[in-house]
Order: sequence, then C-alpha cells, then structure tokens
Amino acid sequence: MSESSFEDFVRQHRQSFEETGPSSRVWAQLEQQIAPRRKSKVIQLMGRHWLKAAAVLVLVVNSVMIWQFIQLKKAQHLTNVSPEMQEAKMYYTSQIEQRLETIKTYPDAVLGLDSSARKELELRNETYQVLEAELIQNPGNERIKAAMVRYYQLKLDLLDKILEELREKQPVSKKQSDYEREI
Amino acid sequence: MQALANNLNNTAITDHLVSRCKKGDVHAFRELYNAYSAAMYNICLRMTGNQVDAEDTLQEAFMQIFRNIERLENAGSVTAWIKRIVVNHCLSHLRRKKVYFEEVDNIDVEEETIVDEDNFAWTVAAIKEAIQVLPHGYRTVLNLYIFEEYSHKEIAAMLDISESTVKTQYMRAKDKVRQIIKQKKVIR
Repeated sequence: MSESSFEDFVRQHRQSFEETGPSSRVWAQLEQQIAPRRKSKVIQLMGRHWLKAAAVLVLVVNSVMIWQFIQLKKAQHLTNVSPEMQEAKMYYTSQIEQRLETIKTYPDAVLGLDSSARKELELRNETYQVLEAELIQNPGNERIKAAMVRYYQLKLDLLDKILEELREKQPVSKKQSDYEREI
Repeated sequence: MQALANNLNNTAITDHLVSRCKKGDVHAFRELYNAYSAAMYNICLRMTGNQVDAEDTLQEAFMQIFRNIERLENAGSVTAWIKRIVVNHCLSHLRRKKVYFEEVDNIDVEEETIVDEDNFAWTVAAIKEAIQVLPHGYRTVLNLYIFEEYSHKEIAAMLDISESTVKTQYMRAKDKVRQIIKQKKVIR
C-alpha cells in the first residue's frame, strides 16, 4: 500500500464517512438532566458567586450576633437575672427611702452630717453598685445575694439609729410624725 | 480537526452563545447541542463501534460539557474543548470495557509490505466495514489519527503509551484494513 493512498482517500472522502446524527433520545434525556438547573437558578447563582455569598453571610451572621449581644447586655437587668432579689430590693428600697425622706426633713444643723456622710447614706452608694454589678455577672451566686440583703439590713439599721438620735435631739414635728407613723 | 471544522463551518458558535450557556440558558444548551451533536456522535460511533454505546457516551459527554462550560475561558476554542471531552468519554468507555492500549507486542498482523497500491480500489463502505472489525486497540489509534486528526504525540498522551507504539499500531491497523478489504474481495 502506498504510504499516502489510504490517508488521501479518507481525506478526500471525509464527509462520506459521516453518519447522520444521534436519535432524539439523547437530547430528551439531556434536557431532563439539565431541567433542574433551570429551576434552581438561585442555587446556580450561589454556586457561581459562592465567595461573595459567603462573605455576605459572614457579615450578616456577625451583625446578628453583635445585635443579640447588645440585647443580651441590655436584658441583664436585675429583674431578669434574679427575680427574688428584685422583690427584696423593692421592699428594702421603699423602707430605706421612707427613712431617708424623714431624715431630710431635719435641718442640716440638727442632722450634723457632712456632705460625704449624707452621700453615703443614699441607697445607691458605691457599695450597692458594686454588689449589683457582681450579681448581674454571677446571677446564681448565693453569697452575693446574701451580701446584698445584708447591705440593705445594715443600711436600714443605720438609718433607724440616726432617726432615733434625731428624735432625741429635736421634738417631732407634725410633718415628721406622719412619716414616722408610716415607718 | 480540519474535517470537524468544515462540518461546523456553517454554525455560528459565537461568544454570545457560550456566554448564554454559562448562564445556564437551556435554549443555548440546545443550540450548542444542535451545532455539535452530529459530529460528536460520529466520533462516538467510530470509537465505540455501536449506536447504543455511542449515544450513551455522547449523552454523558454533553452533560459534562454543560456542567463545565463555565470553566471554558476562551470561547474560540470551544470546538477543540468539546471534542476533547467527547474523545475522553469514549476512551473511558473503552477502558470500562477492558480495552487496553498496550505497548507493541506480538499481535498477529503481518508487517506492512510496500506494494504498488495505486490501483487499489478503496471505497468508503469497504473502509468503514473493515474498521468495524479491527481489534479495539487498533481501531482507536486509527480513528484518532485519521478521522479525529490528532498527532501521534497527542494520541500517545491520551492512551498513555509511547509515540513509537502509536505509530506502529497505526501502521498495523492500516495494513489490517487493507488485508480485510482484500480478503473480502476474494471471498466475494
């Protein structure tokens, strides 16, 4: 066989070697397979832009987490942290504030307390704020709860003693007696 | 590749069509399929040897084409890209059928004899018929070289055999085709 005769013949008659195309079955099956791609266009787009989608998702998740953290911090009020302490607080607060109001009715000269001492008598002094912050941080800590109750009781005792001394120093006015009757 | 290019000369495979395919446009997939299916089916038919396997292989190949067209960077090379996927699927099909493309061994074929074949009466039908009865290995090498127009080097890489083995197998395949045609003529 000459080297080129076979190749030449094939090249010259190349088109005659071609058969007709495939049956319609092939496209029908392909169409079925590619149809879901059409329906899930969002997923397809996600696939194409997965990096952008992931970055957006991370940003959204971070934003939600930060927002939730802020909300959580806001919600960490004593009412939510320890409901029984909230009740104790309401009771002692009303008692302490009644005594403080009575004390305030006495003139400064009779009272004989300087400004720092009077500030210390206020309900929400530094000790109170430290205890409240501790309780929010450690809501289940019984020692902190006991310390807070003890703080209220000591403050109440102190105010009672001051009032007792004041009554001895100066006769009780009508206005004063009204308050004291409430106590 | 020239023959395939000729087949597709009238087809407007534009950048636009490829970009539509990349967007998942089913109509664009259909256009792409219509443009290439006949030529690719012929490759499958020559490589697998029967219509059922050819259609199955074509379907698998086109599914891969549709899925991976996003990766095609140069729309100008779409023909070569599609053809290579189809050929790879055909080779996978043959490997699944345990067709091995081994180094030259003692295959029982006469060495090529240089004779005056100027008057040898080649016909398309005779060549097609002869190729059909070639052993799979010979047929694959012959098809890839003469019909798909890959170089010996490219075929060697595809089949993972040496270039010299490809050359030898091609020569033997060609010789075998000639023998088969001669024998059939004698019988007839």
